Amino acid sequence: MTGAGNKLIKERRMMGNRVKKIRVLDPRGQPSGVFGRGLDPDTPPWAIHDPVNQPRLKAEELGHLKMAPRLDRLEGKTVYLVDTGFAGSAEFMEELQGWFRQHMPAVKTVLRHKKLSMFTEEPELWAEIKREGDAAILGVGG
Amino acid sequence: MAPISTCAFESVVRHDPRAAALPFIYTPHPVIGLSPEALDKYIVGNDPHTGKPVIEEIIEVLTRPIEGRELPPALEKLENSGEVRTVLGPDTEENLRHEFYARGWTDGLPIILPTEERVAEMLTGTGADPDEVVGEFFRFDTGESIKFNVRHVAVIAVMAGAKPAYFPVILAVASTKQSSLMPSTTAFGAMLLVNGPIRKEIGMNCGIGAFSPVNMANSVIGRSWTLISICWGFARPRRTLWSSQGNNLLYNNMCAGENEESNVWEPFHVSKGFKAEESAISIFRGWGYFNPPGTAAHRSVAEELNIQLAAMPPLNSSATIIMDPLVVKNLKENEGFKTRKDFCRWLSESIKIPAGQYWKTDHIDMLVAPMAYKGVEPYATWKKLPDDALIAPYHNPDNINIIVIGGETSPLWKATDYGYVTSAPVDKWRAKKPQVECTDGTCGLPDEPVQYDSSD
Repeated sequence: MTGAGNKLIKERRMMGNRVKKIRVLDPRGQPSGVFGRGLDPDTPPWAIHDPVNQPRLKAEELGHLKMAPRLDRLEGKTVYLVDTGFAGSAEFMEELQGWFRQHMPAVKTVLRHKKLSMFTEEPELWAEIKREGDAAILGVGG
Repeated sequence: MAPISTCAFESVVRHDPRAAALPFIYTPHPVIGLSPEALDKYIVGNDPHTGKPVIEEIIEVLTRPIEGRELPPALEKLENSGEVRTVLGPDTEENLRHEFYARGWTDGLPIILPTEERVAEMLTGTGADPDEVVGEFFRFDTGESIKFNVRHVAVIAVMAGAKPAYFPVILAVASTKQSSLMPSTTAFGAMLLVNGPIRKEIGMNCGIGAFSPVNMANSVIGRSWTLISICWGFARPRRTLWSSQGNNLLYNNMCAGENEESNVWEPFHVSKGFKAEESAISIFRGWGYFNPPGTAAHRSVAEELNIQLAAMPPLNSSATIIMDPLVVKNLKENEGFKTRKDFCRWLSESIKIPAGQYWKTDHIDMLVAPMAYKGVEPYATWKKLPDDALIAPYHNPDNINIIVIGGETSPLWKATDYGYVTSAPVDKWRAKKPQVECTDGTCGLPDEPVQYDSSD
């Protein structure tokens, strides 16, 4: 540090001591404890950006979810490949299906395009996967 | 289930306890527009997050035992939740300004610090109780709604540089619960329109240069909406701010008043059910913004707009066209459109594009195709058409908005794909004692005022 630099810092500190100190208000709002998660299937796809359309759940209503048990092997099983609807997702899942067919032909893959929207629940598809499938791969986009 | 994401969104997963409990697999970013060969490389290549091959991770996630793994029930431990401070300092103005900037509470421009005295003065601009809840704001990253009251809005109005007379308009904007910043990787734009007597009372510019950076009310009210959006959680990079390029129209959200005095059609807010003597704000949102360099010298206005709007496949048939008063006069007096509705109907029926052009547009495929799959018309029918079949993408004339703004120096317009979001009344937020600043609309203009009545 040069002598001039030290002098400047000292001057600023002295000036700072003379400058009036104030209090100001925080601009943020307050947490409400109300959460939105998972849009209803009937909600228009663009409602994801509209706060008015979000679900209103208390934290405790979000509930516990458990991961499904894993499979011991994929051979002989049915694996759903779910295109979430984001741009690039369908093409990626098609290539992934191609990889399974070429390298693991004993795995049956079913490609499904999420139809309602990438932002909403899709109960019929989830039910089909539970009924017909053993596992699911969901993705991808951006 | 094996969830896959590109690595760009790893921070979303990391900051959401429910998502973080899932065994996410990451590919490189992006996947949009890549060739099959490039996607194949992603599948056999490494997860950038773990360094393991993506396909091996997929198989492992589906077959590796993870018994007992449980997703957290709630999000209440997220940052900010339940720990909002209300007062900062005491400290110097310089340090506090720096703190506001460092905390991500500004647009990068200098702010007026919200001292208790300044906030109290702002509150004189409304008759509402400072503790009255104005609304809740949904935060995309935490999924929680943030409550805000009149005082919170006053703090932000002070920061933006507002006068108390502007405050009812800013409260009306806040009451919509809408953010001008969108948590999207795209570059949304927004527009804020003011109608009714309040425009002139607070000196808004509706005429010459209304979108130019010259008028205090237009600049500050528009900025207030941006600061509301920023302070209430919509500008946190890779948490809520995802727009890859951003949009500098959001500095003041194209805030302006409608030039009702020179508009030969009905004012916009009247078309939404307000009385002409009521004041209201309306907000619009979209992406595309076409600012033509010329007018309609060799073709009619209708023909020019037909060409321009056909280039922007619309979401939900939405368009917002901002016309100089000269354009509207010409449409009415020379092109035979007696009302705004007549013109919107003509546009709706006349603009045609091939179905293949419509469906292969990125945002249409993502956001409208789900409507087609649900059987919503006309999208369901359009989805079955051959690529070269012509469709009318602006099929609903009610979703075409015409707004009149400008100083009548040239018959120009701006064509956007913005959709109308909502309107909100201003008058309920007014002070009991009117804070009229000027009644002739001349306040805030840098030079000679515009004569809105065109009497000379």
